[in-house]
Amino acid sequence: MSSSYEQAARSWVEHLRSGGTTPWSEWITQARQAEVPTGWSVPGAAQLELVRRLGLASRLDGATFARLVDVVLHRSAPGRGLAQQPLSWPEPDGAPRRFGAPPTDPSDVPVDELVRVAVGTLTELLLITPVPPAPSELTRGRFSRGPAFVLAGAPVTTSAVRRELAAAGHAEGGTSPRVVVIAEPFDQSLAQVWSARVQRGAPVRWSGFVERWANRRELPPSADFPALARRWVCEVGADNVHVLVAPHDAAAEVATGLGLAGVGQSGVGPAGRTAKHPEQQPRWRDLSVAGIDLARRVNAVLNVRAAGPDREAAVRGCATVLATVATGPGQLTVPQPFQDWLANRAQQVADDLREGGYAVLGDAVHIVPRSEGVPTGPRRDEVLRVAVEACLHQASATRKAEQR
Amino acid sequence: MSEPGQPTRPRRVLVHVGAPKTGTSYVQDVLYLNREALAKQGILYPAERFDEHFLAALDLMDLHWGGLEAQAVGAWDRLAERIRAWPGTAIVSHEILATASRQQVRRALDSFGDAEVHVVISARDLVRQIPAEWQENVKHRRTIGYGEFLDRVIDPARTGELASWFWGVQEVPDILDRWGGTLPPDRVHVVTVPKPDAPRDLLWQRFTEVLDLGGVDLELETDRTNPSLGVPETVLVQRINQRVNGGVLAGEDYRQFVRELLAHRTLSHRSESPRLGVPDAVRTWAVDLSESWIDELQARKYDVVGSLDELRPDPATGPFVDPDDPDEHAVADAATESIVTLLEEAARLQAIEHRLHGEVAAARDELERSRGRWFRAKQRLVGAAEDNRLAATGLAAYRRLRGSSSRSA
Repeated sequence: MSSSYEQAARSWVEHLRSGGTTPWSEWITQARQAEVPTGWSVPGAAQLELVRRLGLASRLDGATFARLVDVVLHRSAPGRGLAQQPLSWPEPDGAPRRFGAPPTDPSDVPVDELVRVAVGTLTELLLITPVPPAPSELTRGRFSRGPAFVLAGAPVTTSAVRRELAAAGHAEGGTSPRVVVIAEPFDQSLAQVWSARVQRGAPVRWSGFVERWANRRELPPSADFPALARRWVCEVGADNVHVLVAPHDAAAEVATGLGLAGVGQSGVGPAGRTAKHPEQQPRWRDLSVAGIDLARRVNAVLNVRAAGPDREAAVRGCATVLATVATGPGQLTVPQPFQDWLANRAQQVADDLREGGYAVLGDAVHIVPRSEGVPTGPRRDEVLRVAVEACLHQASATRKAEQR
Repeated sequence: MSEPGQPTRPRRVLVHVGAPKTGTSYVQDVLYLNREALAKQGILYPAERFDEHFLAALDLMDLHWGGLEAQAVGAWDRLAERIRAWPGTAIVSHEILATASRQQVRRALDSFGDAEVHVVISARDLVRQIPAEWQENVKHRRTIGYGEFLDRVIDPARTGELASWFWGVQEVPDILDRWGGTLPPDRVHVVTVPKPDAPRDLLWQRFTEVLDLGGVDLELETDRTNPSLGVPETVLVQRINQRVNGGVLAGEDYRQFVRELLAHRTLSHRSESPRLGVPDAVRTWAVDLSESWIDELQARKYDVVGSLDELRPDPATGPFVDPDDPDEHAVADAATESIVTLLEEAARLQAIEHRLHGEVAAARDELERSRGRWFRAKQRLVGAAEDNRLAATGLAAYRRLRGSSSRSA
């Protein structure tokens, strides 16, 4: 026979599954009864609170939302964290149990735990509905007459510029190219390298990523602007290498510098990120800081959930979903213990660029970041908001795929 | 197996779910090394590699583990498939299974099909388990001090990952509630770890009884154990962690050199060092908690192999040696021994490197001799073509005649 606790919990689950959003603390003030199926056990407080948060943000129809709730409740949170906590219960009689994790009011569940459940849910949804590969990038024809050029530098910006130029018909490549190295402020460049690594499937945290590079002599290749420029000087000569420092409108400035026609300035953001042809997306999406952090958490779960093409499709799908619900740019600098390292290395980069013997457009001083007041890591509540949006978005996509 | 196609009893699955530091590594190694002998007796230990059940547990619980999880994709389903296809008894054993949530337990039990499932836990008194868990944390790269570890463990709120993990693998009544809640009590078995002065093989005898291994002639010598460290040795590893974390030493290198070479094969042999214990206040708290566990386990009427009294901590036999305020001479002595071990290892690896260089050079010479004059002439032409226009034209003409596949000549 089920206890009053189980009956109240069961009725709350049904309420939440139908889109209700009443908090548990209010729910138990009224006598609630429900049929408790044999073998049913009360889901964890974090799972149920996430369902309530999803309900608060949901625009899904009832059936799609109920399907999403089933996904949330079917698997417990992946990875390490707090043990599944039972719901708080005022009466000693029928209380959850004497041992195990202490009961909690679901509203008090830490944000990190809600994120953990949401990450498991999003991962599951991504594996249920794989995203097809994006159309391949525009490649340069063998007999193309357009100016030959190569872009180098921070991956997200160059990727966006590359796409913007390609959308105007200018494909990168060609013999004896002119080379543009786009040099962003050093912390932004590092964040872009982190973003690209995460979008390739790495589960690395921002702090861990920074710490690893801070312990090395070299810099990430795409953020080591002097090394990039040196390499191209060897290939094409100093006259054909230009470093563009912290451009306001990267696509337009690159196009102007290279004499490429048809790349308009209107609607193009700081890195030329507006999609004119949605089917051709930049290789590295311009995700918000919270979006990158959510993606790296999903990658960690995918490491143990899928391999090979399934994993690749899910990683790709995650970037696609997040490009819809978590676009950048967002400010991010390195954690405080690494800010001296950041300033010194950035200053060294700026000095090396000035002495490189190639054209530097803009003041290299802008490569040295100004870290005051800039966030040093993702904000947990923002990661949760993005996770909720991503789950709702992907649940809708999954439902549509199932109905096809 | 006794008679193909005629099992002597219904399909059974024995799931050994922990706890850590209760002889689990030894049990798993004996089962793995003897899996063929066991199979002849109708007992399946489904493992092609020694850590297969660990990988299956990672998969079941979606756990990442320093990159090893990539090898775990689908491991639980593969394990369960082999168990379902086996007509006799199957054994699954890994101590991290203790942390499984109710949903994960349900998935695991459902995956065994219609087999009769038994859950086994081996349990040791808390006063020995608490310092052992801190030591395991240190051997897994954590840098937390012992005092802080104790504070987190005894905090009833259990906030944080560390406390959650500790109680997830150590709180015997809760583990058995999750794993055994849907089973009759006679299919839930508690193996208690004997006190230190008990005969050495008593624990193994208990495992033999509960895993039904009595009729099998087993090889019991293994080299894979999880030995404990003394106080200065644990402190040394903790300090090494502070220096090698953050990208200095990759996970695989840490496992090979710090955990295996230093901790397990070097520092654990220093048996004269003081052992880890708990302060008096923690001991008192642990004794009270243990009494409540013993009462609860008795009330549930599980099958106990050994005695629940063994879960009651013994009085302290000596003063508490605080790892947060260690004897620096002892730590330095352990560090010196570690340096010697690492130098020996470096010399051994260097000798291997020299030998391999020699083998590669010899193989290259042999290859060169076997290629003949025509190849050497072509090689000279390719070299000359880099500077000499006439040679380059000749090479291009040769390649056109020969076809594109000759470009690598």
